[in-house]
Amino acid sequence: MKQNALGQTPLARIEGLVIQELPDEVLVYDRQRDKAHCLNQTAALVWKYCDGKTTVTSIAKRLERELKTGVDEKIVWYALDQLNKDHLLVEDFAPPALLAGMSRRQMVRVLGVAAVVAVPLVTSIVAPTPAQAATCLPTGAACTSSAQCCSGLCTASVCA
Amino acid sequence: MHAQSPEFFCPLDFSRAMKTSGNESPGRLISRMLAGSWRRSDLPSFDINESELDKVVPLLYGSGAAALGWWRVRNTELRTTGGAELLQQAYRLQVLQSGVHEEDIYKVVRLLNEASIESVLIKGWAAAGLYPERGLRAYGDIDLFIRPEQHMLAVELLSNDAGDCWVDLHENISELDDRPQESLFARSTTQPLRGEEVRVLCAEDHFALLAVHLLKHGAWRPLWLCDIGAALESLPADFDWDRCLGSNHTRAGWIKAAIKLAHKFLDARVDRVPAGALNYPLPAWLEHNVLRQWERPFASEQPPMSHPVPMSLALRNPSRLWEALRGRWPDPVLATVSMNGEFNRIPRLPYQLGNCLARSFRFLFHSP
Repeated sequence: MKQNALGQTPLARIEGLVIQELPDEVLVYDRQRDKAHCLNQTAALVWKYCDGKTTVTSIAKRLERELKTGVDEKIVWYALDQLNKDHLLVEDFAPPALLAGMSRRQMVRVLGVAAVVAVPLVTSIVAPTPAQAATCLPTGAACTSSAQCCSGLCTASVCA
Repeated sequence: MHAQSPEFFCPLDFSRAMKTSGNESPGRLISRMLAGSWRRSDLPSFDINESELDKVVPLLYGSGAAALGWWRVRNTELRTTGGAELLQQAYRLQVLQSGVHEEDIYKVVRLLNEASIESVLIKGWAAAGLYPERGLRAYGDIDLFIRPEQHMLAVELLSNDAGDCWVDLHENISELDDRPQESLFARSTTQPLRGEEVRVLCAEDHFALLAVHLLKHGAWRPLWLCDIGAALESLPADFDWDRCLGSNHTRAGWIKAAIKLAHKFLDARVDRVPAGALNYPLPAWLEHNVLRQWERPFASEQPPMSHPVPMSLALRNPSRLWEALRGRWPDPVLATVSMNGEFNRIPRLPYQLGNCLARSFRFLFHSP
C-alpha cells in the first residue's frame, strides 16, 4: 500500500478469516489471532470496498451511493484506522495525521453531532464462550475417565 | 473458538441461576424462554421479565442455548438489557463458530469423499440445519458414522490430514441399533456444503436419533429438546412415521415421549404427529425429572464429566468412596434408556440399580 495518505488504496484481508454476514453487521473471526470482531454497517461497507484499487476518496463516494447520504471522507479514514488496528487489512495503513489515534468520541466531535452516517465501529466480541453441545471430550483434553473421551480412552489424565 | 466449559472461567454467576429465589423453578423458566425458539417467525408471546431473564441467562449460556435465547429476546423490549446483550454476544460467537465448524466439516468430508470412504454426518451440523440459521444451534465435534470396515482407514486418513479437526468417528449408531445399520446408509440423503456433498441421515432416522439421544443422556440439555421441536416443525411432506418409530415397541415409546416433552415444555407444534404417538402417556416423574435436570444444565455437572475422581482412585480412598458412589447414582431417565426400559409409572429404582450393576460389571472386567 502506498504510504501517501491520500493515494492509499487499502486491501481487505481475507486469508485466515471466517466471515459471517448478518442483516445489520458483519462478524469476523481471525483464526490466526483467535479474535472475533463485529463490524457495524458503515465499517463493513468500507471493508467491503477495500479491493486494493479504490482510493479513500472513491470509497467515500461509493459509501454515499450505498447509504444515499453525504459521507465525510473522515468517516472512511476512521473506519480504515480501526480495521488496520484489528489486522483486517492486508498491509499497514497510515491514517492522516489529523485522525491518527482518534477515539470514537473525538471522531464524533470532529464530524459534528449531525453526522447522518453511523460512526464506523469495529468492536471485539468479548464474552464468555457459550457452551457447545458436545457429549464427549476431544483428543488432548483433560479427563478423569475413559467414558469422558470421544476416543473412549483416557490415559494419563488426557484423552487419547 | 475451541470448546470450553464456561463454568471454569466465565464471569456469569451460575449459582445465582440455580437458586430459586422467584416463584418459578429455573427449569420452568427455561421452558418458557425457549418455547418455539427455533422458529423463524410466529414465536410464542414473550412473557419473561428482566429479573427472570437475568436468572435464566447463565443457564442458557452454560447449556448451549444462549443463541436461541437471543433469537427469542431480539424483538422484545428486553433486547437492550444487560442479559440480552450477553445472549447477543453468544449468538455472534456461535455464528462465527458455525463458520469455523463448516470449514472443518468441508475439509473432513472432502478428504473422506476423495478416499471413497462413505460417511454420514450425524447430530451437530445436521441438527443445526433444522434451525433458521445454523449459528443458532451450538455444536462442538463432528460426528461421523463410518462403516466398520472403513473405520481404521478413516482414522488414519483424518489423523494425518485433519488432526486439527475435532472428529468423532462412529462404527455404529447405538441410538438406532433397532434398525439395520446398513439401511441407515441406504436411506441417507445429501446436503450441499461449499460445493461438497455432505451425507446425512434421512429425516425419519434423524428424528429417531435426536429423540433417543436426548433421553439416553437424561434430557439434561434443553437444546436437545429444541432439536425435537425444530424437527417436528420441519418434517418433509413425505415423512414416514412408521419408519421413524421403527419396529421396536420400547424405542418407539421413547420417541413418542420425546415428542410429548417437546410439545409440553417447548410448545412444539404436533399437528403432523399421528394420534397414536400423541396419546402416549407421559409419566409425571419423567416431566418432573427433566425440569429438575434443567436446573443444572451444565456438562460439568452431568455424567461422565461430573466424575472428577476416577473410581479406581476412590476405591483406594474409602473416605471418598461414598461421595464417588453417590455422584454416580444414575439419573432415572438415563437409567431407563440404558436398561432398555419403558417410560411408565413403575418406580425407576430397578432400572437405576440395573444401570449401576452393569457399570460395575464393566468397571471390574474391562478396566485397563
